[in-house]
Amino acid sequence: MAAFLVKRLLQAVFVVIAVTLTVAFAIRLTGDPALMLTQGAGSVTEADLVKIREGLGLNEPFLVQYFNFLKGIVTLDFGKSFLGGTPVSLLIGKALPATLSLAFTSLIVSIVISIPLGIKAATARGKWADQMIRILSLVGLSFPNFWLATMLVLLFAIALPLLPPSGMDGFASFILPAVTMGIILTATNVRLVRTTMLETLRSQYIMVARAKGLSENVVLYKHALRNCAIPLITFFGLQFGGLLGGIVVVERVFNWPGLGTLAFDAVGARDYPVLQAVITVLSLMIIGINLLVDIAYGLVDPRIRTE
Amino acid sequence: MIKMQRGLRTAFVAMALAGTAFAPVSALAAGKLTVSSPQDPGSWDPIDTFLVNWASVATNIFDGLTYRGPDLKLVPGLATSWEVLDDGMRIRFKLREGVKFHNGEAFDAEAVKFTFDRLLGAEGAKGPQQSNYNSIGSVDIIDANTVEFKMKVADPVILTKLAGYGGMIVPPKYITEKGDAYFNAHPVGTGAFKFVSYEPKVNIVLAANADYFGGAPKISDLEYKFIAEPATAVAELQAGRVDLVIPPTIPIGMIPTIQGNAKLAVVTSPGPTVYALRFNTRDGITKDPKVRQALIMGVDRDAIIKSILGGQAQPIASFQGPLSFGFDKTMKPLPYDPAKAQALLKEAGVAPGAALQIDLRGNEATFIEVAQAISAYLQTIGITATIKPYETNVLLNDIIPNGKTGAMFQQSWGGWTLDYDNTAVAMYKTKEKWNPYDSDPKMDELLAKQRTITNVAEREKVLQEIARYAADRALEMPLYNLNAIFGINKRVKNFTPVPDSRLKFTDVTVD
Repeated sequence: MAAFLVKRLLQAVFVVIAVTLTVAFAIRLTGDPALMLTQGAGSVTEADLVKIREGLGLNEPFLVQYFNFLKGIVTLDFGKSFLGGTPVSLLIGKALPATLSLAFTSLIVSIVISIPLGIKAATARGKWADQMIRILSLVGLSFPNFWLATMLVLLFAIALPLLPPSGMDGFASFILPAVTMGIILTATNVRLVRTTMLETLRSQYIMVARAKGLSENVVLYKHALRNCAIPLITFFGLQFGGLLGGIVVVERVFNWPGLGTLAFDAVGARDYPVLQAVITVLSLMIIGINLLVDIAYGLVDPRIRTE
Repeated sequence: MIKMQRGLRTAFVAMALAGTAFAPVSALAAGKLTVSSPQDPGSWDPIDTFLVNWASVATNIFDGLTYRGPDLKLVPGLATSWEVLDDGMRIRFKLREGVKFHNGEAFDAEAVKFTFDRLLGAEGAKGPQQSNYNSIGSVDIIDANTVEFKMKVADPVILTKLAGYGGMIVPPKYITEKGDAYFNAHPVGTGAFKFVSYEPKVNIVLAANADYFGGAPKISDLEYKFIAEPATAVAELQAGRVDLVIPPTIPIGMIPTIQGNAKLAVVTSPGPTVYALRFNTRDGITKDPKVRQALIMGVDRDAIIKSILGGQAQPIASFQGPLSFGFDKTMKPLPYDPAKAQALLKEAGVAPGAALQIDLRGNEATFIEVAQAISAYLQTIGITATIKPYETNVLLNDIIPNGKTGAMFQQSWGGWTLDYDNTAVAMYKTKEKWNPYDSDPKMDELLAKQRTITNVAEREKVLQEIARYAADRALEMPLYNLNAIFGINKRVKNFTPVPDSRLKFTDVTVD
């Protein structure tokens, strides 16, 4: 186990360096933050720009800037935002919980919907319930998330003013964004649950369980679902990573004060320190989740635990 | 009745969501105004930013020596009077007495000196504001309530500049004691509203300053929420959680949505931003002024404004709007005349079917539509125009400054000072960043000349001459001056839309 963790940790370091180096390099090709800051400021001379760049630390060679940033990761000091000088760690500290809580709620929404539906589709294979669920999942899969988000806002925040249209402000504000993300995740999850369940239901131990006279619910939820758990956990776990990527659009539509909004604004303003920090945090999270998924196998599958 | 309805709605919600949800929080507490602003500037320190959405908040917190309201007239602010001496090389200000900063610190000559020493010193050099005030040499204290500005060069726009942005007076003791980083997030000024709280990327909350020298504001609380996405801001307005959506947020296409709601309204003012397609005057067919004139005459701008912009713009004859100092209302744009345009093209030896490229910002949906219409008009006079959208920053920071554009390129421009000097120098002066193609000694001379004139009327004449000269040379295809568009809840009364985003909510009331 220890060897496994060390190997993973080394991999993580490599991934973070590769990702941040690419981002740091790429964003520097797209424009000068000093020019962004002085947009609209009538008469800016090259000398003024030089002073501003110096203030931002952009006069240093690229590798020095990048090394300082790496040093910042270790000391958890990501520097200051180019836009106004707010400490980046403060911005991340506020945005990270917002994003995590939304991603987590979305995943729960999706699991709660997709497991019963997937099982229903599997047991009613070929019947109308199965067909309906499969059609619905296809429809759900085809929704672009920003469109779905806008429709939900029109319906439940404006036509029926039940929920707040945007912002993060209490439990109610989670409903629309989490349902938006949840519905889109559910579309794929239902199909996965259905397929895995179908395979499991064909096994002999299910036949035995049924032969023992166990109730159908016990067979499905206790015996069958448990054995579906491994592929499902892998998938949900990996999905959590993908979810963090997809959340950018949904956060923007719902004005959610998370990492997605932060990254979006940072790209627009060429706010290098903020963007680099967000990307680093996101990649660390995805690496972390993958690790957790591996560990979770052991918990649900005694065979892996004993190895 | 309203109370009862709200009660019913609450009951309905409670039933519908079986007690799991909440009652919609209305922002309608007595005397509170909630504003949606598209950008968080990140710092409230006047010397740190140059974003219009800094000013739409901070004009309520800070004051300058002069003040310019929605009517764009310059009036006394923290200075009660001033004298321009030595042809503009010295300006002496008499300061308002008895004014205090929100923290109790007294406003006096010391504070003015501190403000400008900071702006013009090492602290200011790190920010974008300093370059705008470089004409100031030093600020000297004459007595506790009199200061004198010693200028390095005469700056005819300096009195306007002192009404905004870097010219805002800041509290010396507070900044010295608390430090710059603290001041960024906890601003203190002399303004009509005091700072209460700020959560980056979420909101800033202010409360009325009862002791404001201009009279206490009529509302008690003021909150700005930062909402970047137009559809989201309008949804908040429709849901009644935001009272006012300020520019630049609402796209033309969303105006009918707001107007269709009985509780909401759209109010507009001519904005600071003017649009033009500028020409590559160095290479290709647009090198010839006749061709440039032909292209201008080939496009029906009035029709574009009516059909695409919903009438929310005015056609312009030079690269400035009617609010700009230097505007000449007798100046008429070249008329729409496709026959004449074709004749000019023929005269210039441009064969029908000649191609040119229009570069523009890829994120401005409305302007892309405008460019498509322009390209269709050009087609009718025998020019095949292709549209090339760029990522905005790439266009602004690389393609234009380095002279890599097509024959025509989008320029949207608007300085808050609304003085044509800013525009004309940036667009036409040889070797300026925004002028990659043209070099004209006569133009340079005119531009330099107007900067030395302190007589307002005389300088206006020179600026008008510059505008005429640029139009004679057909340096750009002037398009229109776009309105500043505000979406507002009708419960807000006494709101005057401002052309320059510098909103001050002293007179506003809410029902």
